Amino acid sequence: MDILTKKKKLSHSTNSMLKSKTGSTPEGSNFNDYSSPLFIAWQLNSACNLGCLHCCEEAGHQMPDEMTKEQALDFCRQIAEMNIPYMAISGGEPLLCPHFFDLCQFIRSNNISLKIETNGEFIDEKTACRLAELKMRSVQISLDGAAAQTHERLRLRGDWEKAMAACRTLVSKGVNTEIVFVPTKFNIHEIGEIIDLAYSLGVYGFYTGKIMRIGRAAKNWEILCPSDEEYSKFFEVLQEKTAAYQGKMKVYYYPYDVVEELKYRLECPSASLLVVPNGKVKLIGPLPFICGDLKKQKLSQIWENYKKAWRNTEVIEFAKKVIADPKLLAESNNWRTVCH
Amino acid sequence: MNFANHVKIRNEKFGTVVFDTLTEKIFITDQVGAEILRLIEQSRNLPEIIDVLSSNYDGERQTIEKDIFEFVGQLKSNNIICV
Repeated sequence: MDILTKKKKLSHSTNSMLKSKTGSTPEGSNFNDYSSPLFIAWQLNSACNLGCLHCCEEAGHQMPDEMTKEQALDFCRQIAEMNIPYMAISGGEPLLCPHFFDLCQFIRSNNISLKIETNGEFIDEKTACRLAELKMRSVQISLDGAAAQTHERLRLRGDWEKAMAACRTLVSKGVNTEIVFVPTKFNIHEIGEIIDLAYSLGVYGFYTGKIMRIGRAAKNWEILCPSDEEYSKFFEVLQEKTAAYQGKMKVYYYPYDVVEELKYRLECPSASLLVVPNGKVKLIGPLPFICGDLKKQKLSQIWENYKKAWRNTEVIEFAKKVIADPKLLAESNNWRTVCH
Repeated sequence: MNFANHVKIRNEKFGTVVFDTLTEKIFITDQVGAEILRLIEQSRNLPEIIDVLSSNYDGERQTIEKDIFEFVGQLKSNNIICV
């Protein structure tokens, strides 16, 4: 057999869940090709010390039926068994979950890449050391302003200094640290300054993209959503800064809004699952559909449900309605079950 | 040669998935690519990989060598492996 006759090239594939797009559609580009998800986004808990105006999850208080530590660990065991390579834990504020570190320990001991999304306010020296020991893929801190006033106007009860201190401490402990910035009418003008600030903090990467019209952001849409003109300037600055920091700091931005994302997902669902604090599994953030329940079903079954759910007429029709009328995005957290 | 931190390899029916979770980029390769990846995972060096593939596949050794260099070059340029 001639090796040249084999398609042995390393071909770059597509997975836009991971924000990578190409025009090609080689085998493996379709989520149906996969034996299990490639990525799990896990909203671990709903409790949060802040009340951000743009929170997608409408986090605040703990949900009464959140998964117990045992259920959460069982979920992690299934992730390891299914050889799922990568997951992200967010909340609420995940560091408020009493078994957060037990879960992280389990995940990392099974060599699963792990990203943590946090407001950073509970990261002191000791916590940063524990995160460093776990060799996380990254810890992502939300920083919504280049100054305290801006950040705290959007992140109610938030403390900009604490978020900044968290970045510094994590970087000093060698944790791969990222900053995420959500543009709104309040802070979009600070994009250039905050990227410079991120670089001065020594973080690995800076992430941003259009605000998602779901959760509390949908309710506050009129006061939050930047104008087209503001977005145009925003992306101009982002382009400049991306070029300026090339090779020094990763500046990443996703140019599509949630409706554009949904249109794309209808054609190409991602090989990923979104798990909410009570163990229900959502199809995708902007839609209200639940395709499984980890308290009652195996993850492998839920993965099959997920594949079927994207072909479900109710899902497709509702998604089309949302695309036509984005106000329906406000229903994204009124969960309803489909296909199981 | 070693895989970079946070690079994950998973076999699927259609081939092998190389997932750089740090850059969140996914690559797909076929059975031969998968074999090279497996040998890298076993800490084999380039001459050893060439030997193994030359004995397993028909074809000119020089051609096989060129293909392997090219493949490993792609792995390096995408930061999948570090030397």
